[in-house]
Amino acid sequence: MSLLAPAQAALRDDVPAYTAALDRWLAEGPSALRAAARPIASYERRVDAMSELMAALYDAGWSRFGWPEHLGGHGGSIVHRGAMWYLLARHGVPSMAVFEHFEVLAPTLAALGPPEFVAEALPAFLRGRETWAQGFSEPDAGSDLALLRTRAVEAGDGYRITGRKIWTSWARYATWCLVLARTGSTESRHRGLTAFAVDLRAPGVDVRPIIQANGTDELAEVTFDDVHVPADRVVGDLDGGWTVAMHILSHERGTYAWFRQCFLYRDLVEHVPSSPGVGDRAAGDALLDLAAVSATSSAALRLHAAGATLGPRATITKLLLCNAEQSIQDLVLAGDGDLAAGRQDDEVAVLRQDYLFSRIVTIYGGSQQIQLDTIAKQLLALP
Amino acid sequence: MSTTFADQDFLSVSRKAVGASTGSDALVTLGWWDLLGELGDPEARAALFALFRAEGLELGNTCALGALTAAPYMHARNDNGTVVASIGRQSMRGGRVDLLVGDTAVDQILFDRPGIGAAIVPASEVTMRPIDISGRLAVHEIEVDAARLLPSIDEATAHVARAKSTFLGRLAIAFEILGAAEAALALAIEHAAGRVQFGQTIGSFQAVRHLLAWATTDCAAVESVAVAARDMYEGAPNRFDQVVKALAGRNGRRASERTLQVLGAIGFTAELDHHHFHSRVLLLDTVLGSSTELTVRLGAWLRDARPDPKIAYAVLLGATQQEDPLTTDVDRRELREQMR
Repeated sequence: MSLLAPAQAALRDDVPAYTAALDRWLAEGPSALRAAARPIASYERRVDAMSELMAALYDAGWSRFGWPEHLGGHGGSIVHRGAMWYLLARHGVPSMAVFEHFEVLAPTLAALGPPEFVAEALPAFLRGRETWAQGFSEPDAGSDLALLRTRAVEAGDGYRITGRKIWTSWARYATWCLVLARTGSTESRHRGLTAFAVDLRAPGVDVRPIIQANGTDELAEVTFDDVHVPADRVVGDLDGGWTVAMHILSHERGTYAWFRQCFLYRDLVEHVPSSPGVGDRAAGDALLDLAAVSATSSAALRLHAAGATLGPRATITKLLLCNAEQSIQDLVLAGDGDLAAGRQDDEVAVLRQDYLFSRIVTIYGGSQQIQLDTIAKQLLALP
Repeated sequence: MSTTFADQDFLSVSRKAVGASTGSDALVTLGWWDLLGELGDPEARAALFALFRAEGLELGNTCALGALTAAPYMHARNDNGTVVASIGRQSMRGGRVDLLVGDTAVDQILFDRPGIGAAIVPASEVTMRPIDISGRLAVHEIEVDAARLLPSIDEATAHVARAKSTFLGRLAIAFEILGAAEAALALAIEHAAGRVQFGQTIGSFQAVRHLLAWATTDCAAVESVAVAARDMYEGAPNRFDQVVKALAGRNGRRASERTLQVLGAIGFTAELDHHHFHSRVLLLDTVLGSSTELTVRLGAWLRDARPDPKIAYAVLLGATQQEDPLTTDVDRRELREQMR
């Protein structure tokens, strides 16, 4: 099914109508949806299934809403994207897999990336053909990102990047990496950084997947050895990398919560213990936690749709998301002994991966302690 | 993040009025009574509920809660006058107790008896016994001759009004708890920025900073769901008033406890207002369903019905959406079976 232009304009201007139309399309049960909704223990096969679904959504036009036309979209706002993922969760898709990153990186690429490059890269990302990784953290620069040492030096028609990135999510699956590198002196801290779109297929790039405690290999260590990057792959301004990083963090800590919470309702409702007891209190509490995430993150989407960013208030949404995710996964673990015992079954394997992952939601995207300090400093003006 | 500049204006005007007056005078100053007739208008609702947040912040004492919860019945009866609703609660020691919350300078009091109907009794005919607790909120246990409780609003009419009244009352209380918790937080932040120990302000210690950051997060969560409920109003999803009230009670208590810990011993004395804010939170948590009671009830609902709570969809689009546009019904169990 492809959309005719008048229908496209109507859905662009009316999110509830878009939602209702997409809901009907999904209810017909496209094969890519059925495949992605099945529990798949292998992370690699799960990424493949999600890529197929993303390609189907793109071909049918649905995922192009929420992106500007000059970047291959159908127009509309981030609220369209929020509605799309809500519906995918409602129709059984268990998680975004590699496409979580899409909603973290793509808004920044669209806002600050070189337009001609992004006009090709964004649709390729959206169809699941060429996905992206985010190269921020380094072995010696974690919470204190401004310490990073990966260096970009001007050389002829571009730059040459040398350094080491770690905890680079989905690098093993990605074609591109948004690398934050130093273009100024080490003392320049956050002022001397620049963001580059780096082709991970380029000579000098080495990606080493890291096997995580939950058995998946989302994370990786990436080494750049004198890697050539053309001049037109600078995202944002030269020495303006911190602005790019802050834009990403507004999404990674703020709007991202919306996309993730869509999937948590199902986990909650399906895993409430079936007999009355203390589980009722725990389930009720988890629902309260989740409602707070829905309310704060939907407000974040509307704010972004209106052209604003969250700034330090994104940290609050992030803290609430962590609370909700952990209280729901606590409930899942308490109600299903197979998780801890590791019964060999695809559904159990996925539940176990998700439970273990929920223990580090307070670490990625800025540790919980850093988030709390950001609130104290930037919102409460404490010394 | 969910409030607008208009919200901030309504709040500051309300705070000024509540802080400067005694009893229910602020309601007249603000033109608040007129807003009761305009609940269908989003802006009027924003102004109307800002009053409750201001009451929490300024330890106000108007009769607004009773007036708001009486409004759905009075509309049904097309009546006028200063009528406030009493709020019933079950005491472990005294069975059903009727409470009058706030200023007592009112003309008539509404008593709603589920299953029977509602009666309106002149205030002069009830006995009021003041409750003596912190919080600077007048609370009276009221008694009335059983013969006076013959319903003048029949059960069928009262039943409809009751649901709406409960929704409005829970939302108003959530805003008032939010205000009280925010005021307790402001006290603690001020203390942390000024109090010096070990040669530095205690606000520079991470343990203290984190307590205050969590209290800020507790408040932000309440604000976001209360504002969402206010904006969605009649389009709010099933049981959302329970979610809002339970979250307000739970987080209001958490924020009070965290801020007390930051204040140290001085926070536990009559010399600082913290105990007023804390007591007000505790009191408001017990009326119209406590957080404990509502949380357990919500959990039991999830267990029994395994519903799609539809909260996410409603808060994303609810403010502009009158009815559920999702025509397809996704049966989760069937879906799971298909996937196997």
